[in-house]
Amino acid sequence: MAGHEDSGASKKKTADSSNDLPTFNAENLQNNMKIIYYSRTFLSIIGGVIAGILGYTGLTGFVFYFLIMAITSLGLAAKAKFSIHSYFDCWNRLLLDGFLGGLLSYVLFWTFAYDIVHIF
Amino acid sequence: MAEDLVLDTAIRDWVLIPLSVVMVLIGILRYFVSKLMRSYQSPDAKVVKEGQVVIRARSLRAAANFIPLKSFRARRAYFSNEENGLLYVPKGQVPNAQAQMFSDPNMAMDMMKKNLSMIIPQTLTFAWVNFFFSGFVAAKIPFPLTQRFRSMLQNGIDLSTVDVSYVSSRSWYFLNLFGLRGLFSLILGEENATDDTQRMMQMSGFGFDPTKSLSAEKDSLDIVQHEWALPKFEQCYINSLPAQEGYSLLFPLFS
Repeated sequence: MAGHEDSGASKKKTADSSNDLPTFNAENLQNNMKIIYYSRTFLSIIGGVIAGILGYTGLTGFVFYFLIMAITSLGLAAKAKFSIHSYFDCWNRLLLDGFLGGLLSYVLFWTFAYDIVHIF
Repeated sequence: MAEDLVLDTAIRDWVLIPLSVVMVLIGILRYFVSKLMRSYQSPDAKVVKEGQVVIRARSLRAAANFIPLKSFRARRAYFSNEENGLLYVPKGQVPNAQAQMFSDPNMAMDMMKKNLSMIIPQTLTFAWVNFFFSGFVAAKIPFPLTQRFRSMLQNGIDLSTVDVSYVSSRSWYFLNLFGLRGLFSLILGEENATDDTQRMMQMSGFGFDPTKSLSAEKDSLDIVQHEWALPKFEQCYINSLPAQEGYSLLFPLFS
């Protein structure tokens, strides 16, 4: 998880403001997407453990998952200093990419922590 | 119906935790074994050459707007010229390459090895779970499910009044199977052998790729509309300079 600190690999931008040809350095873009993926996975695991310890059941747990994903998006946007277009090509990538990918890991660790703390 | 069962602590110690730990360890083991067993076949020279030509054509397409029109046309003719252009593949040669790739024994062996290395640990672990850990309630999932899931999740437990949230260890195994993929991608670096559908597509694509992708590249190169982006740069730069007298004489304008 060494990529956490460095989510700001800058891409090439055309130095000109009048013609709108955004050029993307594909390698940096891919690196940034990978960092989003790692962050979301890690936070969904941690969120699952927290939800289990706090004893959320049912709908509250799922609402907590979406809350965690929203916090992840906010954190990533803040790390990119809110100038999204110099790090990603559109907003949707940052907000929605991998949104549901962490759900299964979240449920696993939620079940695990919940059982260990509350049932046994 | 919704009373809380009190479950034995021994179940937690001897079922939940060992099962998860075993699955994580098997995943790590499988990753290293597949790394060791990966036989590196020396790539065919022709295939590599075609791949590089495709990459060149793709870069030309991507950066087409940064070179003047004539240069772009010259390069494009070099690629897609009918007689000796690099991307032009005569029709007779097409089926040859495909048939050869398909029946290549090395590639078939590789694919089979990857498939086996994925299926065998899963099957063994599943059989182990079924043998040792059946017939009792293993865990409680924190969210309620409908009655239709009962047969799927509770197959070792023969009481029908137990809440559906109390599941057997088989469903704990499946939950682990899907949930640990995220963990593996974190601790084992890039996406590894648990996601081998991607690699299978890549391997089978390699056999068909050289012939189809050449004509595909040729077509997409023919489609490109060239619009030179550069001439405006100088004008904009000049416009952005402060309006002093000496400056306009210093920069000749290319139109």
